[in-house]
Amino acid sequence: MKSGCIIVKENANVNLEVRSSKSPFNIKKILGVILLAFFGIYAVIQLYPLFWLLLFSFKDNQEIFGGNVLGLPGVWRVSNYVTVFTSGNVGIYFMNSVIVTAVTIAVSSVLLSTCAYAIVRMHWKLNNVFLTYILLGMMVPLHATLLPMFIILRNMNLLDSYWSLIIPYIAFALPIGIFIMTGFVKGIPKEIEEAACIDGCSIYKIFYHIVLPLLRPALSTVAIFTFLSSWNELMFANTFISSDRLKTLTVGIMSLAGQHATDWGAIGAGLMISTVPTLIIYILLSDQVQKSLIVGAVKG
Amino acid sequence: MKSFAKIGSVFLAVSLVAGLSACSPASSSANPASASNQKVTLTFWNNYTNDPQHIMADTITEWNTKNPNIQINASATENNAYKLKIKTAIAAGNAPDIIYTWAGGFTQPFVQANKILALDSYLNDGTKDKMLTGALTNITYDGKVYGLTYNQQAGALYCNTQLFDKNGVKIPTTFDELLAAVKTFKSKGVTAMTVGEKDEWPGMWYFDMIALRETGAQMSLDALNKKASYNQAPFADAAGKLQDLVKAGAFSANVLSETRDQSVAEFTQGKIPMYFSGNFDASMIDASSLKGHVTAVKFPTITGSKGVDTEYLGGGADALAVSANSKYKDQAVQAIKFLAATYSSRMYLSGGGLPEWKYDDIDESKIDPLSKQIMSTIVQGSTGSVPAWDLYLTGNDAQTHYDLVQSLFGNQITPQQFAEQMQSKVNGNS
Amino acid sequence: MEKLLRDKKALLLFVFPTFLIFTTIIILPIFFSLYYSTLKWDGFSQGVFVGINNYKNLFMANTDGFPRSVLNSFILAVVSVCIQLPLALFLALVLSRGIKGERFFRTVYFIPVIISTVVIGQLCMKIFDPDYGIVNVILKAIGLGSLQRMWLADPKTALGAVFAAMLWQYVGYHMLLMYASAKSISTDIFEAATIDGASEARIAFSITIPLMKPILRVCVIFAVVGSFKAFDLIFVMTGGGPLHSTDVPTTLMYNTIFNRSQYGYGSAMAIFIIVECLVCTVLIQKAFGKDIEY
Repeated sequence: MKSGCIIVKENANVNLEVRSSKSPFNIKKILGVILLAFFGIYAVIQLYPLFWLLLFSFKDNQEIFGGNVLGLPGVWRVSNYVTVFTSGNVGIYFMNSVIVTAVTIAVSSVLLSTCAYAIVRMHWKLNNVFLTYILLGMMVPLHATLLPMFIILRNMNLLDSYWSLIIPYIAFALPIGIFIMTGFVKGIPKEIEEAACIDGCSIYKIFYHIVLPLLRPALSTVAIFTFLSSWNELMFANTFISSDRLKTLTVGIMSLAGQHATDWGAIGAGLMISTVPTLIIYILLSDQVQKSLIVGAVKG
Repeated sequence: MKSFAKIGSVFLAVSLVAGLSACSPASSSANPASASNQKVTLTFWNNYTNDPQHIMADTITEWNTKNPNIQINASATENNAYKLKIKTAIAAGNAPDIIYTWAGGFTQPFVQANKILALDSYLNDGTKDKMLTGALTNITYDGKVYGLTYNQQAGALYCNTQLFDKNGVKIPTTFDELLAAVKTFKSKGVTAMTVGEKDEWPGMWYFDMIALRETGAQMSLDALNKKASYNQAPFADAAGKLQDLVKAGAFSANVLSETRDQSVAEFTQGKIPMYFSGNFDASMIDASSLKGHVTAVKFPTITGSKGVDTEYLGGGADALAVSANSKYKDQAVQAIKFLAATYSSRMYLSGGGLPEWKYDDIDESKIDPLSKQIMSTIVQGSTGSVPAWDLYLTGNDAQTHYDLVQSLFGNQITPQQFAEQMQSKVNGNS
Repeated sequence: MEKLLRDKKALLLFVFPTFLIFTTIIILPIFFSLYYSTLKWDGFSQGVFVGINNYKNLFMANTDGFPRSVLNSFILAVVSVCIQLPLALFLALVLSRGIKGERFFRTVYFIPVIISTVVIGQLCMKIFDPDYGIVNVILKAIGLGSLQRMWLADPKTALGAVFAAMLWQYVGYHMLLMYASAKSISTDIFEAATIDGASEARIAFSITIPLMKPILRVCVIFAVVGSFKAFDLIFVMTGGGPLHSTDVPTTLMYNTIFNRSQYGYGSAMAIFIIVECLVCTVLIQKAFGKDIEY
């Protein structure tokens, strides 16, 4: 696969191979090889779905259901991709997904990082109660909220608008994000903030200049999860949006399925198209996580 | 931090009141606007997402061009998501003006909750005469009509003539011949039938059809209407017949995990000689390489039982209804009359459905061949029909029926238990 | 510092927007569900107040297999914590210490989380297919043909097959969390330990893992709550079947609300799931005890 070249560029900070090569023929080296073999095999397993989706997106129903399930497509049906691009307004759907997801990530990142900081660090009586209250959001089975949320959004006059997706997505990103964040905020040594406090910083400055940079790996991680859940969300997007010009990409893709006949190859092509941006976002954001090592080294 | 808690609780109380009072339908949408010169826009939700021939879209465009003052604004949602969406919107009192719906049990709760407009007063302008006999039966509740059907279902046994010829098997006309055919195919290493029982409803079609042949249309309808018991010999016998097929190896061994898409693909790949399903599969079969090698025949009869071969499983299914909360009821009814009549013919032509409206004016030669065969051999000249039971039964009962049929496929219950449980769980819980 | 951290204006600014959105969009619907759960209601017509009858029906005189679905979700929670998390932790620890190809592995291991559940579901259905599925093919190839099963069609094996797929899909999710946490640990600590000559395993067990405790707790809670709320992959792969053998509370709830039109009873299931998750979360929080102070 194309990711293979990444290995070459890889520049790990602490390299097992390098360290164990100091003394050849030792157990460490053998273990290192076994480890690498394990990681390699596991990588193949994890990579397979993407590969399979790629093949899937070039097949037709005959091949997908029994004719040729796992092998290469007999004919590479580029027409599946043509179908996706010509049915409905894929360009608009894509932009809608980008807008909804971007706003969701931006707003939720601000809210959940401030909130997590307030819960862990600030002194108020209800911080634990509040955390539990927020955690309730993780526990709600989504389908049960469909009707109540529809009613609430209708009363706020938000149905069939970007906000009817953005607001629920933010709301559901908050509990998971805050919970992860609190775990990270706890890991920041208090001394750093205290040092800043002596220098006369305000709480906002401490948060913005000291805490936030240290939370970058956590924020990136949370952003990945928020991205995934809002980018792929289907039920709200189907129910709260009726106008074609506001539909999101996943809804557009699932629209290729019909009541009596579903062209699975085209759906595969659509899913492939929506997966690529996800993969790119993931690589970019998780590089942030890795880079944070350097930030973490700047220690007070 | 007390002040903060106070703000919070006030906010919570306010929003709760606002939210709960919202449960009652909005009152603002109730005044009918009747000025005919005023330009109105009707909202129309449907599930026609995969509409390769643009039947739905073209018909709407046609209407919008002809009626500049009554514009239809349509929104299509994928089938399963559509069910969630329309139920949620109707429950919240936010239904579109025109609703795509399924006749029978799906629409019944909406009707009972007064969410759907009764159409009787609108239909005496000759509309009924344009429709086929019995077209409105499944969408009539307590003697009132609540929608216009435009498409009906009919069950047919699709037979792959190539496989029949190759294996020297005759297309069965009685159940005994069917069982014999299953065994012959089996002995030659061919699985005789296919069904996507993971999705539950395809297997139900098999059972409901066998039941119709065992009981005859009247007894099935009586039981569905709770006027007769399911716990009678013919229903148990029907369950026994289905299990006979299962035990004879008519279906593949992983029948419980096969999806319906999978089963259709197996049939169109030419691996399976027989497939009992609705006419809605006709266009898919005619679009495959099997075209011309498939015949759609009546389901075999059962010797010594009440059912006759002129009865079929099916009836009016897809329908258009008007929301009782619509601001523009007259215009909406006007629109669905046009839409339903037009779809009826166009879907028949394309092989997507069987007509509910008279179709004398369409070019017979252009009709999808399998659909035409089903219409002429199964529907025309029929003496009775029973809808697939999930169309007739409401949500909970339909689901129970699905589950029990699946238990038959999985050999989890005996035919006798099946009949008893259908009676106690479906007819007994009203 | 103390004074700053007691700044009420700042606190309000930090907390209130979250509180507002969260309460309106998530807590309010819970109250709706709580109210619905006391009704016999089809979602459309006038509901009838039945008190706690719906809750009674969940466990007493139950006919739809709810207790069994709860048991299924508990089994899933246990295997998640015992198998999925240790595997994720192992991957995260090794990756964060810098193995050759860290970036490549980190990317690839997350792929099953990225790919739509619809696709993963379709793929797993193929993998478990009795005729051409890779599971049976491998079993046959290594001479264990007698272990071949109709994995998803057999009520006895379907649950295991679905769970295996679910565990596999989300290993990457937990790995990423743990990886980010391990990466946040200052390198100074590792350098000091390495100079002292501690082995990698020792460093992991006595330094890294204890410092990751807050995130490990997050992962355990996610795994448990996620198991109680599991829906997507089961829905795609089996829909709760065959013969209800793979039903979990959420698939049953979905079916009850949207297919059986028993909105009241389905809402009672929703409330049960919330309470179940809440109780377990509190218990897990307690079990993890106090955090290490720096």
